[in-house]
Amino acid sequence: MKFKELASRNLKEVYRDKVALGFLMGMPLAFILIFGWAFGGEMSPASIGVVQQDKSPEATAFVEVLSYVEANPPEGMPPFDLIAYGSEEAALKDLKLGKLTAFVIVPEGFGEAVEKGATVPLTLLYDENDPMAAPRAVPVVREVAVSFLGVKIPLALESRGTMVEVENEFMNFFVPGMTVFGLMILVPTMVRVMAQDKERGFLSRLLTFPFRPLDFILGYSLPFIPIIALQVAIYTGVGVLMGLRIIGNFGIAFLLFILIGLCCVGIAMIIASLVKSEAQGEPACWVFLVPLAMLSGAWFSIEMMPPILIDIVNVLPFIHALDASRQVITTGAAFTDILPHFYWLVGWAIALFAIGALVFRRSMRA
Amino acid sequence: MDNIAIEVNRLRKSFGSLTAVKGIDLQIRDGELFSLLGPNGAGKTTTINMLCCLLRPTGGTATIMGYDIVHHPQRIKEFIGVCPQETAVSERLNCYENLALAGKAHDMDKAVLKQRSDELLEIMGLTERSKEQVKRFSGGMKRRLNLIIALVHDPPILFLDEPTLGLDPQSRRAVWDYIASLKGQKTILLTTHYMEEADALSDRLAIIDEGQIVAQGSPAELKATLWDRKTMVITTEGLSAAALDALRREYPSMKVADEVVELSAPSLDLKEIVDCLHSRGVAVRSAFVKEPTLEDVFISITGKELRD
Repeated sequence: MKFKELASRNLKEVYRDKVALGFLMGMPLAFILIFGWAFGGEMSPASIGVVQQDKSPEATAFVEVLSYVEANPPEGMPPFDLIAYGSEEAALKDLKLGKLTAFVIVPEGFGEAVEKGATVPLTLLYDENDPMAAPRAVPVVREVAVSFLGVKIPLALESRGTMVEVENEFMNFFVPGMTVFGLMILVPTMVRVMAQDKERGFLSRLLTFPFRPLDFILGYSLPFIPIIALQVAIYTGVGVLMGLRIIGNFGIAFLLFILIGLCCVGIAMIIASLVKSEAQGEPACWVFLVPLAMLSGAWFSIEMMPPILIDIVNVLPFIHALDASRQVITTGAAFTDILPHFYWLVGWAIALFAIGALVFRRSMRA
Repeated sequence: MDNIAIEVNRLRKSFGSLTAVKGIDLQIRDGELFSLLGPNGAGKTTTINMLCCLLRPTGGTATIMGYDIVHHPQRIKEFIGVCPQETAVSERLNCYENLALAGKAHDMDKAVLKQRSDELLEIMGLTERSKEQVKRFSGGMKRRLNLIIALVHDPPILFLDEPTLGLDPQSRRAVWDYIASLKGQKTILLTTHYMEEADALSDRLAIIDEGQIVAQGSPAELKATLWDRKTMVITTEGLSAAALDALRREYPSMKVADEVVELSAPSLDLKEIVDCLHSRGVAVRSAFVKEPTLEDVFISITGKELRD
């Protein structure tokens, strides 16, 4: 149980280093604030999906008119992007992920109703939590329907708000990303503490105390768990103030962040064991961290990357933490929905921590 | 026979092709203050690091209180105190917190730890600043804290690696006094390259150079090896080249600095020297015979000077 003394010392060293603590907590926070203000309120064109369930020529023609209006919006109509879906489920999934503002279902019987001059049924699903979704989507569909039919005939436009979704797409993408990035900054902080102790002979002195290897491993890693928790709380707390909407169980997201934090602790132990001084530690960290940050999905969507990089990214733990936390926060995904990501993260956390502990232990031996 | 606290047999340490310690032998008695004196890079710290179980020897054996340094490092660490050459203190902790880390690592009782910390802080003159973060301390204060971290758990064996390095004369004197007060109570292995320190504190010492022990004994015993060599220091006025030539013929190892002449020889006749100078118009202001120092011993053995 002697690790408690060492852990307590290391916690004090980090908390009393105001500059390092400010950097650790402040840098991702600054990004959230700056980028949140800059882009959080931006109105992108509405994304409107269409599900054509009726295969009649009238239904096909209606969808074609929608496409025409998308390319040539009449004056006064807000721009929109049209995305065709094969099923209602697929469209609903994207709506929940925030990829769609709304989607319209052209139901079976649409062509028949048009032909008979009866009431034309259309269903529009939108995010009921987004006050802008209905005003943006309903006029588009109504206008197209009227244009298509040429005259104002009875139109049963059933507008249904659905359970979720993303109030501020940007913040819901960005805050989990910055949280993971903030946890990555833990690596240089931890490496600095360990490298300083090495360089100043403090670690050597500790090695003359009757500590066991496990005391060192726990003593240097455990203090960072409350720091990880504090980071997550601060980043997401500020994110909420800036427009992040947490739909799902935040406890699951928190667990995912803790796991990626443990991965970072493992990476830090590996780097700290390999370097001999603080001067070596700092650049060594950034050599690892900059590419990892770029490949994490924290800053931009990985879909923009070449396939080979996407394969690499999918092997690394960061994208799994991000995808899973974004799904939980944004769409309310249940724990069972993110289990593959969870297992991947647990595997990485165990592997990195074990390798870190092993390398750290070896570095203590003369 | 006294108990042997530290026993070293043919201890050797190599780093790649460099052999830092070349098979040294030592026997340090219980309660003895033993010094390793040598220039920087002589192998003192490597030796102490092996004895503290920080470095694994390449060859040879060593035991501390009967425990082998390779096979029982954990046991040894329970009863040693180490003051490293570096100022190995936790900068953002205060004195009590630094001492608590060491004390609790050695399972000290909380009340005893507090009492012992108070005592040592008082002795080293750190009481007033004891609750401040160490990063605000002067170098000398940090060095003093560095020493008392090694002492707080009251270990029977102490390894002090250049404990006064970088201290001002006043602090150095205070540390010497405290170390001297521990003589007889603890077994102390001290490394230093200050000959005065080794001379003033040691019961016995070993002179180490290039990884080998070149001489061993008490300071008096080592200096007595130079019984056949006397040194006289003469301060003159009007020292001339002719006078210097005359002296150099008699005393080839003569040293001159300004008007001060230092002569070494198995025997020195003051009257003869004064006459020699007077006859060449040189006045003698003062003259005294200098006792041999450990540095003289070192020079006589290695042909080199101890470099500070």
